[in-house]
Amino acid sequence: MKKVTSENVQEYLARYMEGESTQEEQRLLKEYFDSTKDLPADLRPYAQMFAVLEEKQQTPSVEALNRFAEGQAPARRKLLPLWPVWAAACIAAFAVIFLTPPKNEENMAIAYVDGKMLNNEAQAMQMGQEALQEIFNNGNEEQQLTDLFNKQ
Amino acid sequence: MKRLFIILWMLTSLCLCAFAQKGLNINEVFEGKVVAKQYMQESLIKGENLASYNLKVLHTIKFSANNSQRARADALFNMDMLGRISDDDSNMEMESRDGFIYYAIVQLTDNENGVHRYICYQCRPRSTKFDITLVYMEGDASLADLRKTFKKK
Repeated sequence: MKKVTSENVQEYLARYMEGESTQEEQRLLKEYFDSTKDLPADLRPYAQMFAVLEEKQQTPSVEALNRFAEGQAPARRKLLPLWPVWAAACIAAFAVIFLTPPKNEENMAIAYVDGKMLNNEAQAMQMGQEALQEIFNNGNEEQQLTDLFNKQ
Repeated sequence: MKRLFIILWMLTSLCLCAFAQKGLNINEVFEGKVVAKQYMQESLIKGENLASYNLKVLHTIKFSANNSQRARADALFNMDMLGRISDDDSNMEMESRDGFIYYAIVQLTDNENGVHRYICYQCRPRSTKFDITLVYMEGDASLADLRKTFKKK
């Protein structure tokens, strides 16, 4: 790609005006007009044109700004990631399980009969005591004799 | 997401295990894996209700078992007996009949908080089945104290 000079600038401009110039050529033209101070009179309007075009590229139009402000621009809604919510839920659940004093667990008496839970302290206590008495009295000779007779 | 569910499942399992008798083979029986829970009588008592016995936890189950269920419960109890403090009378009493435990009261090594742990087992033949009683206890009571409390004079 040749550099734009005072000799070939007309050629580049002609291509630009015909819409045949490449982006690179447009960049070279812009550089030429930006860097050349003493332009011939016939080229000054082009310098102004490139300056205006550059400004337009850098600043969004009023319409574009309005569209943006009104939310009319079809922007894709960004979804929040779910994992922080799950992590917070896990931490909260653990705090409840392990940090809360186990109120019910400290004092509990539950009985299950045939798979059904009986929330009856007295019955649970009675079942527990009976089981222990049965086992601890196995060593009694009298009890063993009773068992022997039951077996026969 | 998948990983999260695995973590949640692991945490839930951990929480449930914390309620069982830690590390004992007879848990299998307590959990209804030998005889289904619906065929058991179970009592679980903790806290103030046991203060007069100087105990903290009392978990009992009673059920009827067939030959293989009885053999399984017997084997699991025998495995846990390996964790007993000693064979001394002050820590254990046991009687076997026909190669199976008839009854046993065994003091296991204390838990990490220095609390005494006991497992008890009784198996009585009843026609074609066996009536089994299994007990887990935790507390400060000694075996001598428990004998005094529960043994008929």
